[in-house]
Amino acid sequence: MFSLVQRFQNVSNQAFSLGIIMVVFIMASSYYQLINNNAFSIPSNIDNVKTLVNVRTSRYFGSQRGKAKENMKIRFDLNTDLTPLFNWNTKQVFVYLTAEYNSTEKVSSEVTFWDKIIKSKEDAVVDVNDLRSKYSIWDIEDGKFDGKDLVFKLHWNVQPWVGLLTYGETIGNYTLTVENNDNV
Amino acid sequence: MNLRSELQKLLNVCFLFASAYMFWQGLAIATNSASPIVVVLSGSMEPAFQRGDILFLWNRNSFNQVGDVVVYEVEGKQIPIVHRVMRQHNNQVNKQFLLTKGDNNAGNDISLYANKKIYLSKSKEVVGTVKGYFPQLGYITIWISENQYAKFALLGMLGLSALLGGE
Repeated sequence: MFSLVQRFQNVSNQAFSLGIIMVVFIMASSYYQLINNNAFSIPSNIDNVKTLVNVRTSRYFGSQRGKAKENMKIRFDLNTDLTPLFNWNTKQVFVYLTAEYNSTEKVSSEVTFWDKIIKSKEDAVVDVNDLRSKYSIWDIEDGKFDGKDLVFKLHWNVQPWVGLLTYGETIGNYTLTVENNDNV
Repeated sequence: MNLRSELQKLLNVCFLFASAYMFWQGLAIATNSASPIVVVLSGSMEPAFQRGDILFLWNRNSFNQVGDVVVYEVEGKQIPIVHRVMRQHNNQVNKQFLLTKGDNNAGNDISLYANKKIYLSKSKEVVGTVKGYFPQLGYITIWISENQYAKFALLGMLGLSALLGGE
């Protein structure tokens, strides 16, 4: 009745159910802390966005069949404090600056210009001026960026030590219409 | 030792495997993903995901958001890749194109995509979106699949415990 196998099974069953209870508790408490710290309404200030357009012919910049592709980078100011996202279950925060726009009347797009991995509370304040975007953006359609309305947003993703991935958006959008601009 | 109790034991083993299989398939139906739980095999998403971490997937969403971490399988290659969505282009008729990148990689994934494509198709190639995370426990499966003796040892142990285990 009390064979080794039986005991091993009992112990592992106990460990499994205890583990589940602990994980649920950790998930609930960290989500509560996010809400308590107003993590879902963090203000951010995106400003002074300048677009830089050039033309690329590589496949890694969206060019296909040798056709030149318009690419866009930006320069921007960004100021936000992401400290509320850090609690005892935060492994890292992935923060990313995106722009939403309509490629055509039917195709809506969202692209990432810049992102950053923040691993500790001490680095949670982002304050940059005239920073160049990390990524060079091209559009899926053949049109130009000229005249398109871009809505810039700062998003975040909390990667936990255990549990559910949490996503959110900061408050403070920045709208810009791309103007004819040939400088690189 | 009579025949009846031996057969009973065999039946129990069958029951164990059948219920494990049912649980897995049930999960696959609930999440609409062929592999609802995956183990991370590479370090391309570090420091978020390390080798051996377990990810729980969900695939009932028809579109992905920018920033989602997705698991995709490129047509013709049977290796699941876990990377983050950087761009999405959505044409509203159930077709979405994605560009992905690993957090730990310098460049985007275009070189991984099938025959000269520069986008991923959400409906055809994405296996699931990562929703939950559990660290390190999946290392057992990596260890088993990469060590031939471990495989035999595990199977042998399962068989022995099923046959010898009392009651």
